[in-house]
Amino acid sequence: MDLLEVEKVSKVFNQNGVPMPVLKEISFRVQEGEFIALVGPSGSGKSTLLRILNGLIPPTEGRVLYRGKALHSVNLDSAMVFQSFALFPWLTVLGNVELGLEARGFPIEARRKKAIQFIEKVGLDGFEEAYPRELSGGMKQRVGIARALAVEPKLLCMDEPFSALDPLTSLALREEVLMLWEDKSMPVNTIIMVTHIIEEAVFMADRVLVLSTHPGTLVADIPINVARPRDRKDPVLNEYSDRIFSLMA
Amino acid sequence: MFKDAKRRAVFGVTLLLLAGLAYAISRQLHFPTGKIELDTALSQLPYYAAYSLMRMLTAYFLSLLFSIFYGYIAATVPKAEGPMIAVLDVLQSVPILGFFPVAVFFFVNLFRGSQFGVEVASIVLIFTSMSWNMAFSTYESFKAIPNDLVEAADGLGVRGWLKFKKALFPICIPRLIYNSMMSWAGGWYFLIACEIIAIGSIRYHLPGLGSFLIESVESGEVWRTFYGLFVLILMIVLLDLFVWRPLSVWGEKFKYEFTTTATVPSTSFALQWYRRLRVARRWGRIKEIIGKPARALNPRRYFLPAGERLAQETRERVWIPLRRGLGYLLVGGIFLLIGWSFFLLIEGLAKPLPPEAGRIPGALLASFLRLGIAYLLALAWTVPVAFWVGENPRAFRIVTPIAEIGASIPATALFPFFILLAVHVLGGMNAAAVLLILTGMQWYLLFNLIGGVQNIPGDLKEAAKALGVSKWLYWRRLYLPAVFPALVTGSITAWGGGWNALIVSEYVVYRRETYAVNGIGAMLDRATYEAGDKQMMLLALITMVIAITLLNRFFWRKLYLYAVERYKIDY
Repeated sequence: MDLLEVEKVSKVFNQNGVPMPVLKEISFRVQEGEFIALVGPSGSGKSTLLRILNGLIPPTEGRVLYRGKALHSVNLDSAMVFQSFALFPWLTVLGNVELGLEARGFPIEARRKKAIQFIEKVGLDGFEEAYPRELSGGMKQRVGIARALAVEPKLLCMDEPFSALDPLTSLALREEVLMLWEDKSMPVNTIIMVTHIIEEAVFMADRVLVLSTHPGTLVADIPINVARPRDRKDPVLNEYSDRIFSLMA
Repeated sequence: MFKDAKRRAVFGVTLLLLAGLAYAISRQLHFPTGKIELDTALSQLPYYAAYSLMRMLTAYFLSLLFSIFYGYIAATVPKAEGPMIAVLDVLQSVPILGFFPVAVFFFVNLFRGSQFGVEVASIVLIFTSMSWNMAFSTYESFKAIPNDLVEAADGLGVRGWLKFKKALFPICIPRLIYNSMMSWAGGWYFLIACEIIAIGSIRYHLPGLGSFLIESVESGEVWRTFYGLFVLILMIVLLDLFVWRPLSVWGEKFKYEFTTTATVPSTSFALQWYRRLRVARRWGRIKEIIGKPARALNPRRYFLPAGERLAQETRERVWIPLRRGLGYLLVGGIFLLIGWSFFLLIEGLAKPLPPEAGRIPGALLASFLRLGIAYLLALAWTVPVAFWVGENPRAFRIVTPIAEIGASIPATALFPFFILLAVHVLGGMNAAAVLLILTGMQWYLLFNLIGGVQNIPGDLKEAAKALGVSKWLYWRRLYLPAVFPALVTGSITAWGGGWNALIVSEYVVYRRETYAVNGIGAMLDRATYEAGDKQMMLLALITMVIAITLLNRFFWRKLYLYAVERYKIDY
């Protein structure tokens, strides 16, 4: 069975009473263990699509099935990583990572232990009591990732996770995300990532879904058949990038 | 367009409702008799101070609860938002002191002439002076929660109380603290005012600092008045140093910003003390000890997952219809109230107008002129001082603490002195009234202007200086335009304060003699305290509210929009 089935999903927003179609009849499937990248120009509704997949917002038409069951509310078997990090500035690193566990009713000792374990996993040991404002951008996003992973989701949704970071930091963090994804001790094995950087999509993903704009429709579904670990400078990856670029332009 | 019309309708209806209610409440009531004696012995002073403080605290906590509740509902229930904000708008622009006599009548009668009624009335008055800006701040903060944060909480499955506590409410804290400080300062003004207000020939005294001040002046013991004033200022300064400062520094950690700007972190020595205290460090442990039995009582602990789901289903099935029903009931009740007060209003106004009614326009004009003169006086000293302070860091360091203390003295506490001045030195009430109004206006202007000057970007100043601009041109081309928006905001609050001050400034009782000038505030006072003429009282109140509303709508708001559009500095 597929992990995720997207069936003819459309989304219309109301802008001052005028209906604005954002997504139109999008269908695809995601298998467990896949790394999917959603690319498209700005305004293609890729972030909206990600939120529909996660159950944060309902589609206007169509439906999303998770393990064969239609999603009606937030999928608690998935977690989200944001471009803006979306860390609660009034909570410490530990408080942020614990929050999802607290919501799931973990007693205090258990959630503290688990949270610390994931903070170590992203290499932030020693920063448990720091507030987000005291951290650099890269460290903030590590907290964001730790917070998402701490609830042990099957599916990780990432919304332009590296866009707000400087190029060097984002390179390093990409590698780390790939390592976490390949780490068998982690429950998370399926990732859907939204990005507008084609090279990033091609370098990281098993499949790249290309969206067009106004309204967003699925124009291509391109498997990246390159063995891992990949080399950023691999000319084959460049060919993929060029192909996707011509689809979007 | 439609939304605007609806807002305006709600605005008008609320005005009507208030006026009608005020009338309805005061209609059949009479002055209860009885006088509460006040002892002005110095040994009583700490007791009075404690009494005043308790009154302030009670009103403040009520305001805090109200503002969080009101702001949250207005920000999260789309249908309620428009009406609730319009109502808040009216309440904010109404001169609260004008309603004080009405409130006293109501509560004194409700509690059968006991002192408790006056007590409740004073707390209600202080509450009404504190709440509105706090409610606005929570509403705006809840509205401004970044969508990402809400989605992060939802995505993690954070719901209910946990979501409110950890994800939503903290965003209000910085602005809520700031507005609490403003409200607290304003609260003193009203606290003192309502302690010294006399009703007719019978004087109700609430034991407190305000009563102490007025009573000691009247008995000619001026040195006692100074003691009273000293205690008041001491209390205000101590509270500022040990409560509000540390709170506002602590509150900065709740600010949400994308970029980290390099600003000098503000400090509070008191906060550092508290942090060094063991209590603070052991807070987590203490919370645990207290929290353990509470958690054991939480029914959720004993729900199996299935039970939890069942509970949620019940909640959805029962709570949603229940909430809708309550909503309908509320709307129905409001309509009934509107109808009732409208009826009473017509009834109250339908009587042949008393002869004094013809003097209302003249009185309004006189009051307006008084306000205008006080405003010009305030401008005349605040604009140069703000400029001087804004340009010289040294002056800033000297003037700010002085101005802060000056502003923290509730102007009403100085009224006894001004009365002495008016009676013995100035020989006339008119000059004194203008001075009294001035004390209610000037600080708003000063602080807004200083803020405005400091917000002028340094490179603009440097650019002007590098161009060799003369002093006069510098004023005309940079300083005045740059502070214009701050000037307008300051003016709006100053006029709001001024209208309130009118009621206590134009009509003063001193040693059983009345000193009054011709004005709308005095007219309102006279109608309530002397004649007990409900119709005149209503007319004066309505006239005042309408004048303020019209002035706000057609002058200040337009000016504000113009100022923001034309003179706002943003790159």
